[in-house]
Amino acid sequence: MELVVLDNVKKSYVTGEVLTPALKGISISIESGKFVSFVGPSGSGKTTLLNLIGCLDKPTEGKVLVANTEISQMDRKTSAKFRGDNIGFIFQNFNLIPILTVYENVEYPLIMVQNVPTEKRKQRINDLLEKVGMIDQQNKYPAQLSGGQKQRVAVARALVTEPKLVLADEPTANLDHATAYKVIGLMHEMKKKFDTTFIFATHDQKIVGEAEILYTLEDGLITQKQENKKPGEVSK
Amino acid sequence: MKSIIKIAWRNLLRYTRRTLLTASLIAVGVAMVIVFGGVGNSFKSEVIGILTNSNLGDIQIHKKGYVGSIDNLPLDISIPEKGLKKIESLLDNNPEIKAYSPRIRFGAMASNYVQTTGMRFTAVYPEKESKTCPSLVERIKEGNSNPESFVSPGSIVIPLNISTGMNLKLGDNIVLVATNKDGSVNGMTFKISGISENILGPQGKDGYIHIDDAKSLLRIENGEITEIAIKLNNFNKLSSIYAGLKNELKNIQGETTAKPMFEIHTWEELSPFASISKIVTLLIMVVRLVLISIVLISILNVMMMSVYERIGEIGTIASIGTLPSKILALFLTEGLSLGFFSAIAGSIIGIIIILFINLVKLKFKFGMMEISLAPQIPTAEVFFALVIVVIISALASLQPAFKASKMEPVEALRHV
Repeated sequence: MELVVLDNVKKSYVTGEVLTPALKGISISIESGKFVSFVGPSGSGKTTLLNLIGCLDKPTEGKVLVANTEISQMDRKTSAKFRGDNIGFIFQNFNLIPILTVYENVEYPLIMVQNVPTEKRKQRINDLLEKVGMIDQQNKYPAQLSGGQKQRVAVARALVTEPKLVLADEPTANLDHATAYKVIGLMHEMKKKFDTTFIFATHDQKIVGEAEILYTLEDGLITQKQENKKPGEVSK
Repeated sequence: MKSIIKIAWRNLLRYTRRTLLTASLIAVGVAMVIVFGGVGNSFKSEVIGILTNSNLGDIQIHKKGYVGSIDNLPLDISIPEKGLKKIESLLDNNPEIKAYSPRIRFGAMASNYVQTTGMRFTAVYPEKESKTCPSLVERIKEGNSNPESFVSPGSIVIPLNISTGMNLKLGDNIVLVATNKDGSVNGMTFKISGISENILGPQGKDGYIHIDDAKSLLRIENGEITEIAIKLNNFNKLSSIYAGLKNELKNIQGETTAKPMFEIHTWEELSPFASISKIVTLLIMVVRLVLISIVLISILNVMMMSVYERIGEIGTIASIGTLPSKILALFLTEGLSLGFFSAIAGSIIGIIIILFINLVKLKFKFGMMEISLAPQIPTAEVFFALVIVVIISALASLQPAFKASKMEPVEALRHV
């Protein structure tokens, strides 16, 4: 089943009077439950592509469908609701809310976005914190955590709403190699457990081997698609 | 909502020093409004109380044209006996009127046989005057201060400055020489029965005699008087009772002119203190405006800073699906909480200061009056301060909150 479909998607930015094309016509489809990576050098359009799939930005041309919903022209409120219900995000800088504890950071989308009842919420958070190995740190604030721990919390926060799709933009860029592999391994594990589709953008060549499907982007175009028969080998 | 409040609080406490500084500023502003309101209103009501309870009464009725010439105390613009009876019947039937006192006010020369000075006199029935101006007898510091008989025929109450200046004591004789309305002069001797504080009239040279003596001195053979002072049961109803009486008095018309014969004035129209009272009210308004400005500027500043510093965070919460309305509510709650709790703190500080002033009983002289400041906790002022701070906080937070809620997540996430 196709979870993400992009049909001739183009995106250009206007700076002053200069039109800069970021994506020059992308057409791909991603099946659900896959672990997909976009790789490419800086400025190749990875983040722009993730923003379009994540309903954070609108394409200049073309269509973006996620979970059979055309998301390209949604208004702010509808797109926020769609993201809250269907998409989880993992950021390069972790983007945890500094005034909330580990537990509260993971709890945030369940209270502020999905309105999940207390008991169900507690169960889901504890379960996830246990799985990402952060249950003992649940009362700590982000400032008290290491980079790897922060990203584990971010993974838990992304998964707690049980999204169909998790988007991760350079999730290992601020981590050392060992921690980066651990986080990727964790994402693999979570993908298997929850059958969630993971799409991440990276230019870190060392972790691209972790993906099942690998799209190479260059200058706003997909230049290569590779399928990896043994993903997650390195992180093991 | 509970979560929004919790997050708003945590955000406020994130920048403790900034929050405390802003909260202190608002609290000081609120305390100022409460203290200034309490002290100002206490001062006003104290002075108004002294004026109305010891001399003016709450309302006065005169023959039309009298107040225009009141400085001369004209005897020819008087209320005739027939008119007085009509007014008395009107006042007797009005349940809002507590008491009234007919008076004859006149100017006279007072002599102790050695020195002579000009004075102003109010001739009264003591029992009626005491009911209309109950504090009058309290100001008689020497001699007879019995409310029923503080002036009897043949006796006179003089102010302290005349007593001191002319070396007059209780029991001494004093001669009054006055011109009646026909222009003829008459004189009478009085025995000093009381010496009062100098609070009344220009230079405090106001004395009291019995109304029967005034009739003899001024050769008034019928029941004419120059004014009626009125005391109300409830001073707060002054405006409505005044308007009602004014309407009723319009119906008492002259036989020849068919125009209203009498005029009616509240104490405010008769005392120069009314202007000072208005200035005090104006100052209270100015302090309120200062408070509004403080709250507006400080909350706006804090919230704008807060939004600017948290653009990336706004991007994060927006991207994970927080609705724009919830982002708006988050920032609004932050501003409102800051304003509301600062106002509560300010109210407590203000109330403590007022209680302290009450405890030490601040006394000072205002003109010839000794004022004792005993401010009550101004409930209306406290309520006003709380409500206005909350409203202004909401208004000041609105623009930054809107800005936050309207941010495009993708742009906010890019912000460093």
